[in-house]
Amino acid sequence: MSAAAHRDGPPAVWAHAWRSGAPLLVAVGVGLLMHFAVQPAVGAFKARVLVDIGINVILAVSLTLVNGFTGQFSIGHAGFMALGGYAAGALSYYGSYQLFGAAAFNGGVLSWTASQGPFHGPWVGGGDLLFVAACLVGGLVAAGAGYLVGLPSLRLRGDYLAIVTLGFGEIVRVVLQSTQTQLSQAAEVAATPWPLLTLKLGGALGFIGLPFYTTLFWVYLAVALTLTVAIRLKRSSYGRAFLAIREDEVAAEALGVHTTRYKVRAFVLAAFLAGVAGALYAHLVGSINAGELGFQKSFEVVIMVVLGGMGSVSGSTLAAIVLTLLPELLRTVTGSVNTYLPPAYELPDLRMIIYSLALILMMILRPQGFFGLREIWDWRVRRRPRPA
Amino acid sequence: MDTQSIDPLMKLVQTLLDGFAVGGMYALIALGYTMVYGILKFINFAHSDVFTLGAWVSWGLAARALRLEGAADAGGTPVWAVPVVLLGAMLLCGTVGFLIERLAYKPLRAAPRLNVLITAIGVSLLLQNVGQLRVVFGPYPKSMPALLPDVTLLYVAGVRVPVVDVLVIGLPLVLMLGLEWLIFRTRVGLAMRAVSYNTQTAALMGVNVNRVISFTFVLGSALAAAAGFLYALKYVGLKQPADTTWVMLGLKAFVAAVVGGIGNVRGAMLGGFAIGLLEFLGVAYLEPLYRDVYVFAVLILVLLLRPAGILGRAAVEKV
Amino acid sequence: MTPLLEVTRLSIAFGGLRAVQDFNLALAAGDLQGLIGPNGAGKTTVFNLLTGVYRPDAGEIRLAGRRLDGLRPFQIARAGLARTFQASRLLADLSVADNVRVGAQLRTRPSLLGTVLRTRRHRATEGDIEARTRRLLETFGLAERCDELARHLPYGDQRRLEMARALATQPRVLLLDEPAAGMNPQEKLALRELIRRVRREFGVTILLIEHDMSVVMSICETVTVLDYGVTIARGTPPEVQGDPGVIEAYLGVAAQTRGPGGGA
Ligand SMILES: Nc1ncnc2c1ncn2[C@@H]1O[C@H](COP(=O)(O)OP(=O)(O)O)[C@@H](O)[C@H]1O
Ligand SMILES: [Mg+2]
Repeated sequence: MSAAAHRDGPPAVWAHAWRSGAPLLVAVGVGLLMHFAVQPAVGAFKARVLVDIGINVILAVSLTLVNGFTGQFSIGHAGFMALGGYAAGALSYYGSYQLFGAAAFNGGVLSWTASQGPFHGPWVGGGDLLFVAACLVGGLVAAGAGYLVGLPSLRLRGDYLAIVTLGFGEIVRVVLQSTQTQLSQAAEVAATPWPLLTLKLGGALGFIGLPFYTTLFWVYLAVALTLTVAIRLKRSSYGRAFLAIREDEVAAEALGVHTTRYKVRAFVLAAFLAGVAGALYAHLVGSINAGELGFQKSFEVVIMVVLGGMGSVSGSTLAAIVLTLLPELLRTVTGSVNTYLPPAYELPDLRMIIYSLALILMMILRPQGFFGLREIWDWRVRRRPRPA
Repeated sequence: MDTQSIDPLMKLVQTLLDGFAVGGMYALIALGYTMVYGILKFINFAHSDVFTLGAWVSWGLAARALRLEGAADAGGTPVWAVPVVLLGAMLLCGTVGFLIERLAYKPLRAAPRLNVLITAIGVSLLLQNVGQLRVVFGPYPKSMPALLPDVTLLYVAGVRVPVVDVLVIGLPLVLMLGLEWLIFRTRVGLAMRAVSYNTQTAALMGVNVNRVISFTFVLGSALAAAAGFLYALKYVGLKQPADTTWVMLGLKAFVAAVVGGIGNVRGAMLGGFAIGLLEFLGVAYLEPLYRDVYVFAVLILVLLLRPAGILGRAAVEKV
Repeated sequence: MTPLLEVTRLSIAFGGLRAVQDFNLALAAGDLQGLIGPNGAGKTTVFNLLTGVYRPDAGEIRLAGRRLDGLRPFQIARAGLARTFQASRLLADLSVADNVRVGAQLRTRPSLLGTVLRTRRHRATEGDIEARTRRLLETFGLAERCDELARHLPYGDQRRLEMARALATQPRVLLLDEPAAGMNPQEKLALRELIRRVRREFGVTILLIEHDMSVVMSICETVTVLDYGVTIARGTPPEVQGDPGVIEAYLGVAAQTRGPGGGA
């Protein structure tokens, strides 16, 4: 990068527009590549693993904004995911009834998973728009909750804040699990006003029958955008304010950082992204159940962030990838070992035992996580300071 | 329980009884949280899993080691069953508490609190999932054998109080009196209070800080084990070790510790009963579905309005 | 002329301990004043009060006429009062340059969208921050180490980085809390020069807490002496050095006969 293009007249506009817009184009490009090239090549099973990886990357990177950048400690991240999933589900499910008469798929080719069969529809369908709107609404609802959870962070730190976020996650779970039975007749839906519809989210049985829209395209579009946001933040004044809070709140404040505002902002932003991840998840499996998004899921994301490095975007991305693959790998390994063992001596599911041991050992041996605050590319030879 | 047709006084008495029973357990667990916090200033997240372990070890001792399954029906359980299982569970969990501190927390004495918290989460997950192994307790729910005869001791306003309930409410009180004596009347207790007040000074005055910390973990874990034993005895059905119900119970006990003022032993006792009563009053008179919500809502309120808890004192950060 | 920084009857107590009592101060633009006193006299507490870390029990703080007491620390920093800390509080895991950048970004209002899209305005402000950061790093001789983590700097450099970072906020008044602590005589000499130079080049008004008499007496025009939270003397260095009360406080002759906090 150089400042040359910036100085000389008209081309600068284009250079600038390119620089601003490039990540968006790259994100779309990555999505298209994953959708049209990778998906057909790897088959349904591996494509699903790739989707899971993508969703976990979004979750881990978003939590990095709070736990890594800002040095707060949230262990209720799954609560935001659940909220986002339910809110998005409510919009796409009931919205589909009202727009299309049934909660059925109405999208274009980008939202169609190849394994569902050949696609004979338009490039872009009305359902796609509804789905994108649902993802945004999911993110916004979660962001609203993030604001509320961020408020205690103004007065509490460390373990206390952790407990509050955990409590928040559990409250979200219980409240979502006690919503009313969902409607499944078009006439009923049509006769019910929206505010009431948002109360009918399936309760303890989960919110089911959501249309399937999530594909590799949408997931990797969101992944690319999330990574862009996180990395650009980290290298800017905005993100530096987060990092300053993490390092020393008193010093940050003395340097003019509005610490309370930035803490809440970190929570809101992270919650938004987690809400989008929840929305993607809900439209991947066609249902969402708050019971599955309790603190275990939150812990899983925390483990990714901690192992990857508190504050390392690339580190937590890598950790999310590895920790999503690990269970699959373990299943294969134990499965093949177990075929040789008598039933009484079969190896159990060792995933959580390995995670927990890794967590304990990591804290003793390398407490800052694998990458610490650094990024993978920070290991290049130290060069002269980069121009702005 | 059919609460609709019941007479209001009976309902109240039953609710209070339930609240006190579970409150005693919360109090016992909360004591462990609060003592460790008092001394090491961190939340031992794995403490609730020691409680779970206590319940499961009680089951292991009763059902597997002593083979007491069905003994109650076939001629009655021996009288020594309760003390043996209780002490066995306390001893074993005390040992586990000791090991957790030595192996996982001690290397981190000088580390930031966040690292210790993460370690504690790791220990918690480890205990849960080791417990799920088939060679340990297995991944299925189990039933605790009855160690006490199903005898009614008394009726309060028409509500039956079986002997189990008397034990469940009485034992925590006895243990708490014992703890009170230990902390405020013995040399070990004095050392504990000294370390909690100021670790450096205590060390300078010749207190063996490491030993006090170990002792605190053993003590807290043994109390949690007693709570686990009582839980198994009263509620009989034990969910598998990694089930959410256990963590929720432990978390509520933690809330009890916070509400009572973390680091404050008497506060933990008070908080335990307060949370137990709040939970059951909420279930009986408000909406039973929101049972966990009441507790967490109280937690958040207390943290925001009176972060030092009911009995605690606030501290100013020195710059 | 009204003073730039005016403090009247500033007081705070911690429990029964009256850490600062009726503290008055007037700093004219361009002043370099010293604040001295034995350990525990309340000097750092005065800084904490001025910068909003503690809320005063009583008293007023005005910067160019504007009330600062009751504001939060970041607001006070934005109003033009910057400080260093006695026990260094660098952003240890950030680079040297980032430490200065955090100060230098004080007057910018970064937007999330601008940051993510790297808008023209965003890049202009970041460029501005960068330029000022460079200049400060050069002035303080830290340019060579700008990419190192702050925690890896040698002690003397850490102290200078604290000053650089505070200056990056473009303050009108700079509060320095024992910048010479832990330095050897050569470093102290260099520090004197640096403080003089900072005042000249950055046009700041300085209030200096220092334990080392040689530093204070050689560069300050006016010195205030605190003891047990009470101002016991004020004047030019020779005046203060000759004051019997000050000598007594420093030699601690009467210290045993006075209870803590019972200054006057
Ligand atoms: N937050 C606080 N709580 C209680 N006492 C404090 C606090 N901050 C300072 N003090 C006390 O105030 C007195 C003055 O301290 P300080 O201003 O740091 O002295 P110094 O002149 O050495 O900088 C000391 O007795 C110190 O212990
Ligand atoms: Mg001082």
